Amino acid sequence: MKKFIALLLGFTMLFGLTGAVWASTPGVLTIWADATRAPILAGLSEAFTAEFGIPVEVHEVGFGDIRDRLGIAGPAGEGPDIIIGAHDWIGQLIADGLLEPILFLEDIRDQFVPVAIEAFSSGGRIYGLPYLTEAVGLIYNRDLVLVPPATFTEFIAIASALTDPEKGQFGFLSNIPQPDPYHAFPFISAFGGYVFGLDEEGVLDPRDIGLDNEGAIIGGHLILELITSGLLPVGTDYGAMTGLFNDGMVGMILTGPWAVRDIKAAGINYGIAPLPTIGGQAMRPFVGVHGFMVSAFSANKILAMTFLEEFIATKDTMLALYEADPRNPAFIPALDVVAADPDVVAWAANAAVGTPMPSIPEMGAVWTAWADALLLIVTEEVSPEDALRDAVMRIRAVIGYE
Amino acid sequence: MSMTAILAKILLLGVVDSLGVWTAVGLVVAQRWGMLAGLVVGLLALNYAVLSKRAYPLRYLLPGLIPFCLMVVYPITVNMGVAFTNFGTGHRLTKEQVIDHFESRFYLPEDGERFTFQAFRDHEEDFIFLLVSKETGTTYLSAEGILEIVTLEDSRFVFDRGEIVQINGYYRLSRGELFRLLGQLQEIRLERNEEVIRLTSIREFRVYQQRYHYDREQGTLTDLKTGIIYTPIAGAFTSADGERLLPGFVVRIGFQNFLEIINNPHIARPFFRVFRWTFAFAALSVATTFVLGFSLAVLLNDPHLKMRHLYRTILIIPYAIPGFISILIWAGMLNVDFGIVNRILQDLFGTTIPWLHDPLWAKVAVVLVNLWLGFPYMMIICLGALQSIPSELYEAARIDGAGSWQRFRKVTFPLLLISIAPLLVGSFAFNFNNFNVIYLLTGGGPPIPGAMTPAGATDILISYTYNLAFGGVGAQYGFAAAISLIIFAIIATISAINFRFTRRLERISEGL
Repeated sequence: MKKFIALLLGFTMLFGLTGAVWASTPGVLTIWADATRAPILAGLSEAFTAEFGIPVEVHEVGFGDIRDRLGIAGPAGEGPDIIIGAHDWIGQLIADGLLEPILFLEDIRDQFVPVAIEAFSSGGRIYGLPYLTEAVGLIYNRDLVLVPPATFTEFIAIASALTDPEKGQFGFLSNIPQPDPYHAFPFISAFGGYVFGLDEEGVLDPRDIGLDNEGAIIGGHLILELITSGLLPVGTDYGAMTGLFNDGMVGMILTGPWAVRDIKAAGINYGIAPLPTIGGQAMRPFVGVHGFMVSAFSANKILAMTFLEEFIATKDTMLALYEADPRNPAFIPALDVVAADPDVVAWAANAAVGTPMPSIPEMGAVWTAWADALLLIVTEEVSPEDALRDAVMRIRAVIGYE
Repeated sequence: MSMTAILAKILLLGVVDSLGVWTAVGLVVAQRWGMLAGLVVGLLALNYAVLSKRAYPLRYLLPGLIPFCLMVVYPITVNMGVAFTNFGTGHRLTKEQVIDHFESRFYLPEDGERFTFQAFRDHEEDFIFLLVSKETGTTYLSAEGILEIVTLEDSRFVFDRGEIVQINGYYRLSRGELFRLLGQLQEIRLERNEEVIRLTSIREFRVYQQRYHYDREQGTLTDLKTGIIYTPIAGAFTSADGERLLPGFVVRIGFQNFLEIINNPHIARPFFRVFRWTFAFAALSVATTFVLGFSLAVLLNDPHLKMRHLYRTILIIPYAIPGFISILIWAGMLNVDFGIVNRILQDLFGTTIPWLHDPLWAKVAVVLVNLWLGFPYMMIICLGALQSIPSELYEAARIDGAGSWQRFRKVTFPLLLISIAPLLVGSFAFNFNNFNVIYLLTGGGPPIPGAMTPAGATDILISYTYNLAFGGVGAQYGFAAAISLIIFAIIATISAINFRFTRRLERISEGL
């Protein structure tokens, strides 16, 4: 028996070394997509295979793993032709020489939401075919909030009137204190705070950091006031925010389209509104864009590009992707079809004033330092001025531009 | 051994060997010499173990040794190699791959012409193309890769319903055929007066100009558009005025990663604070889990206790639930405002504790949660050890007039420690690197005001390493590997000292 096990082990070892290669093979398109999108694409590609006789293999890879695994598998000749991912990966992927620019998009760029093309652009080239955009907005409970606030003053008034911790009811919740800088950005941006500025060529400049400018500090104070005035409990995290909202105990939450499915399932009579303005200024959220990218180590670059051009950048495919995962299409002909849905209009309004989440590799240093600063602000350990200044000093130290 | 068993043995071995040879050929082609050596050694050892009578014990060892080499020795070797390189974001590819990358870069000239095309193929799989310029409307035909101007009146063209279907015995490709041949067509380069024209999509050809040229003699890269010359310095092609081209490539950089840890004040300064807490955390984790696990084991071992089995089963439950889940549930329960723990404290004592927001309480929380996760393990091993103590010893002690406390002090505890001590050392080493509980519960936080490094109050060395490697610019694998080697050295030293101490314990037991 032992011998048998030994042989079996040797057997599996050898298979482990040679088998299961999801590699880019000439004449076969290999796509890596996450669990939500892999089945949709597998279904859609059948039509492509039927028409052109080209096999399309869709492999499910966890969303968080796609970027790192492409970096390992691509150069080893074992990567895919196409990946589906977020636009903020491109900085790192381009620095690693893993992405191929997609030329045909330059001809049809006006068929896409401008911010989506901007998000996938770098150095004058476009590195991804965008298919959805997402940005945070104000989701409100229509049973508690009749008219969503247009200005921040109205917003505070509504939030204060509804907040009653004794009853476990809240006017406004957000997972900002978690700490979550992504959700805090609209407060920072409203008064002119930004992450990275643009240089003369319109490229993000890691030397120009705007997270401790006057506007960002005002935004920091605004968040602190939400905490100190008792409106926003400092322990609010994503689970508490969505859980209480889905129990009908919260008037408004600040979050994105990913929360809507559970809200619908909970039977909440919800609405989506643009973020309120402060002193006439828009609260500009980060815009995230998802799209298709072509590996620089693909054996089928032209085929992959052609697949994207002829088959993905079409109204039908974009609508099918939207049906399966309702987040706003980035492809305007598809967006126009679903524009009757008020949710789509509201999300589009938020994305329209937003700014693409920076995609340069230096963002890694920003997220960690900024999150620490945010927690120090909301726990009232450090003033917003000092916390944000320290954070920017730390970012400079980490990325090496002191 | 029966005939069938021998046959089965030889057959299976044959299958494994042929698979091995097949793999070896693949590895030779891929030039993976290290893996090939490993495969050959493994395969020979396997054959020897199965065929030789003298190597009988090897048959029992090999099933453990092969995975040990694959999953422990190999990763550690790779890790040691990586620690001396700049492998990470911007430096992922080999130099050859980077040169390929730049040589295949092109730029489209401002007024670069674009062409619609039709492709034709003869029976010998040779292609010719008919290109029509989108700008000038001129028609070109490719011959031997060179474009020549033609007119539609050309006698070589065969028309059918107004379309050219055949040229000189070359037949026009349908759209479907084009799709299937794109892999071949993408390599085709057509020429027109020094210009390169290649396929951009199934719809068009374009004029390309190469962007970079690599000079193999000089080892330099020239930007053909600007004329700037780049020389390879520290893993990136660098211009005279210091501009570094991305992507860079992987190079050996000696001890630079290690020197960075020592010389960069932002990294070195918190290192000792983090080290102290790591040590304290590991020691506290071992101490608390051992004390609780051991106490419960003594209780459960008492034959007077009713329903022992039920209690034992219940107490093992925390061990049976995946740590990931329990840690996240604990994080929710310890939430300042919405957590059940603070709600109970509020109702009972009218006060709450800033569990994960205060440096000291966060440390308490981490140790408490780790106690919850770790005590069942200690309880189980203590129960086993207690049952293995011979009852004659207790009888002898009783006859000698020892009370229950004395029996515990002089018999139970020392004997238990002999078998448990090595496991305590192992538990210490495990908790020293207990990334999950820190990362999932506090994320290393709360942050320390004014800190210039991503090191929070509860960060241990391994989570600090993670922050440094992945919380900066992209992912710095080489740097992370260097720190993990240092952590490995620290743990190896501590464990060596601990084992020496344990051996002394054993010597005491011999005198017992």
